[in-house]
Amino acid sequence: MENFFIGIIALFLGGLVSLFIKKQDYKIKFVSFMTFIASCFCIFDAIKVFISGKLSEIFSIGVMFQNIVISMDYLSAFFVAVISVMSLLSVIYANGYLKDYIKKGKNITAHCLFLPMLIASMLLVVTIQNALAFLIVWEIMSLSSFFLVIFEHEKKDVIKAGIKYLVYMHVSVVFIIVTFALFSIQTSSFNFAQFMDAFSVNSALANVAFVLAFIGFGIKAGFFPFHNWLPDAHPAAPSHVSAMMSGIMIKTGIYGILRVLTFISHPEAQIGYFVLIISVISALYGVLYAISQHDIKRLLAYHSIENIGIIGIGIGVGMLGLTYNCPVVAILGFAGGILHILNHSIFKELLFLAAGSVYTKTHTRDIEILGGLIKTMPKTAVLFLIASIAICGLPPFNGFISEFLIYFGMLKGLMVDNIAVFIVLILSIAGLALVGTMAILCFTKAFSIVFLGEPRSKKAMDVKEDTTISFIFPMSLLAVFTLLIGLFPQFVFDFMLKPVSIFVDGCLFEQNQIISLMQVVSLTAFALIVLIFALFGFKYFFKNKNEKYVTWGCGYNKPTSRMQYSASSYASPFITMLTPLFKKVVDIKKPKTIFPHDAHFEMHMEDVEEAYFLKPLLKSVEAFFAKFEKIQNGNIQQYITYGLVFLALALICVVILG
Amino acid sequence: MDKDIMFILFNILILLFMPFLVIGIIKKTKAFWAGRKGVCLLQPLFDTIRLFKKDRTISNTTSWIFNFAPIVVFATTLFAGLFVPMVQCHSIINVVGAFVIFSYILGLGKFFALISAMDTGSSFEGMGASREASFTTIVEPAFFIILASLTALSGNYTFVSLADVIKSNGTFGVLIVIMAVISLFIMLLTECSRVPVDDPTTHLELTMIHEVMILDNSGIDLALLTWASGIKMVILMALIANLIIPLGLSTMASIGLFLLALILFSVLIGTLESAIARLRMSHVFEFVFVMSSFALVVASLAAVKMYGI
Repeated sequence: MENFFIGIIALFLGGLVSLFIKKQDYKIKFVSFMTFIASCFCIFDAIKVFISGKLSEIFSIGVMFQNIVISMDYLSAFFVAVISVMSLLSVIYANGYLKDYIKKGKNITAHCLFLPMLIASMLLVVTIQNALAFLIVWEIMSLSSFFLVIFEHEKKDVIKAGIKYLVYMHVSVVFIIVTFALFSIQTSSFNFAQFMDAFSVNSALANVAFVLAFIGFGIKAGFFPFHNWLPDAHPAAPSHVSAMMSGIMIKTGIYGILRVLTFISHPEAQIGYFVLIISVISALYGVLYAISQHDIKRLLAYHSIENIGIIGIGIGVGMLGLTYNCPVVAILGFAGGILHILNHSIFKELLFLAAGSVYTKTHTRDIEILGGLIKTMPKTAVLFLIASIAICGLPPFNGFISEFLIYFGMLKGLMVDNIAVFIVLILSIAGLALVGTMAILCFTKAFSIVFLGEPRSKKAMDVKEDTTISFIFPMSLLAVFTLLIGLFPQFVFDFMLKPVSIFVDGCLFEQNQIISLMQVVSLTAFALIVLIFALFGFKYFFKNKNEKYVTWGCGYNKPTSRMQYSASSYASPFITMLTPLFKKVVDIKKPKTIFPHDAHFEMHMEDVEEAYFLKPLLKSVEAFFAKFEKIQNGNIQQYITYGLVFLALALICVVILG
Repeated sequence: MDKDIMFILFNILILLFMPFLVIGIIKKTKAFWAGRKGVCLLQPLFDTIRLFKKDRTISNTTSWIFNFAPIVVFATTLFAGLFVPMVQCHSIINVVGAFVIFSYILGLGKFFALISAMDTGSSFEGMGASREASFTTIVEPAFFIILASLTALSGNYTFVSLADVIKSNGTFGVLIVIMAVISLFIMLLTECSRVPVDDPTTHLELTMIHEVMILDNSGIDLALLTWASGIKMVILMALIANLIIPLGLSTMASIGLFLLALILFSVLIGTLESAIARLRMSHVFEFVFVMSSFALVVASLAAVKMYGI
């Protein structure tokens, strides 16, 4: 455990010392160096846990906290490993990304202080086993990420998104406090170790506690209907921060849910269904709105909601497996869900970083005015393509493996011999399939509008790719990870069994069966790649001549880039089919005269949940509190009267109640 | 062992060359209903061979994606075919959860087909791609519902075991299989772009889905893409054939029945195309949704069969 603490101290030190470094670009370099050291140490401990089992350390600080236990079991170690690697890559990327800002004279002091702080707090969140201390580091995490989000605080919408994020996080923490309060009242302790089976006799209360925890941590993770901060905060933050937030920070919400689940060793059926249904809805809702977005980072943010949904589906299936005493289903569900945490953090980080590279060169997030970037930014295009295929869950990349495990878990679950399970699972299978195909629709759109065709505006022309190592190295490494997990799922699954063993144990026979299935999957992936490249060779065997010409336009030989299909037209047939689920905001000015000159059309989709639920709710709350405005009228005499009245009332209360 | 190799060879041969025959039969049937003599049955094969020899015209707008995609489409379709038994109970790759791998591999092909269409920057191809992508979102969940219900009924997770559904479930099995077959047939029409969803013969871009996506492909690329869509048709036909051909026949009989089924499906498609017109684009969605409703019927019948309400 010492290595882990050295890592944490290195991170805090990195942040603090960077305050005293004069030159801006050395600050971020120093922070990256310290993050590198910290990651190495933390990973070392995580590996140690995977080899030899649990590590723990006890601190006694004061009476209030009782003993603070910081320990790493398999679940924590898994998260520590993911957080260290992924945040290191983001920080390396930040070196390149912040260069432009530094050149413009932007002060990055605060950014360099909070970047390592966020990483350190995330590492502590997943290792601290004491409720009070957990809440403190949780809060540090939320606040430091808030300061990272408002990096470009001179922009009004960035501040707005930041405040929204802050408010959401504090609603979330209320639910988490209530959950922990429930547990600690029951056990009169703050230590997670004592929370285990706190409600083994009172299952109704266990359900309530779990649902509260799910809401609290679900706000952080971005489950529907608590997702609304994501699509605003991610576009506002700089790319490496959105990569880190979407890639790993929202997963701490999942960690919280999993951790609370360990306290309830045998979950009731209702909460299993609850998690599964909410997750399917989140996944569908996320990808549905992703399709309708033109802002690349907003689109990716909605995809995070989708992927959190997929992770949730895995967990839900696992919980149903536990409830109905079907360990295979539980193993497959949890393994799929936990593996998807890793997978999503890899490809989503890659997508955000690639989108960031595009943004630094074109200075726009609006995909409708991009296009043709594959010719000017070939490396970024390939990396974005790899991540797109992976996020759609297509072989031979990593997304397929976790989705396949979840599918297989659900198929096995159909045999549980319970009709309710059958119906819910068959609809979830259809839901997951729908999510997969919608993701294909969404990412063929995103990739082809940004990178293919002709540039749609000046901003996309004459772009020069930045191939400095701080851009290319983290992205290439992530791309290699996606491919490796896709090609060698048997080893990855074997590795996943350790964190899964916290929830469900045993059935070695079935585990081996799944591993051999994974071997077949690995072989098919290899065979597919070999077949593709063999055919590629076969094609060049023919040595036919190529002639270059303009794209066929029904005989029209002067096509302009404005004649191409745009992102909204690509999504249109699908969106029209599901019109009731969107709130269309259309801004149209039709051409009127015989020689029309100014006309424009703009359409975007507003989040239904925000438009029809959140906004009216906030409005009514606002109206309610507006009624109290009269009390606060700026008249000091009246304020003194309030004080007197209050004192009098207090006195009466004391006298009456004794 | 020898027998296994025979079966593998037979499967691959069917996968590679049956598409030409199937398309030939469809064309011949249509010619028959139109009162024409029609082209030779193997004309599609000759067309493909001719395309392989031709030079290509490539758009200036395109990138390596356009060049690479036809190969991926062909490879994935062929590879997906290896999961489906072409003769009863014999598929080359027989794994549990096969239908998930099968559809995701096809999905990879579709992904590349879509981005290859978008790579040309043509508005026609963009239109085709967007329609194709939208229809897939309806077809795929229905396919998953059907296959999941059937695997639940057969108690096994392989494609091969699907043939078992009729035999082990009696009258219910027959009912379920009928529903599944109708549903999968609609999928066949949609995925392989046949009437009433799409018309492979017209070259009016505004009405087309799949055909318009390959408008700019020529030479060897076009050959690979048309061949791949033929293979896809054979695969889906084989899936349906597997459901209805009874188990336990001798090898020769089941091979014969299988080929007969493929020919019958081709004649049926040809007849359908002669008898009905293409649907209006806005009605195509409704038609494809019919598949989803049949799929739900299959699922509920399976639930009733398994839990007997």
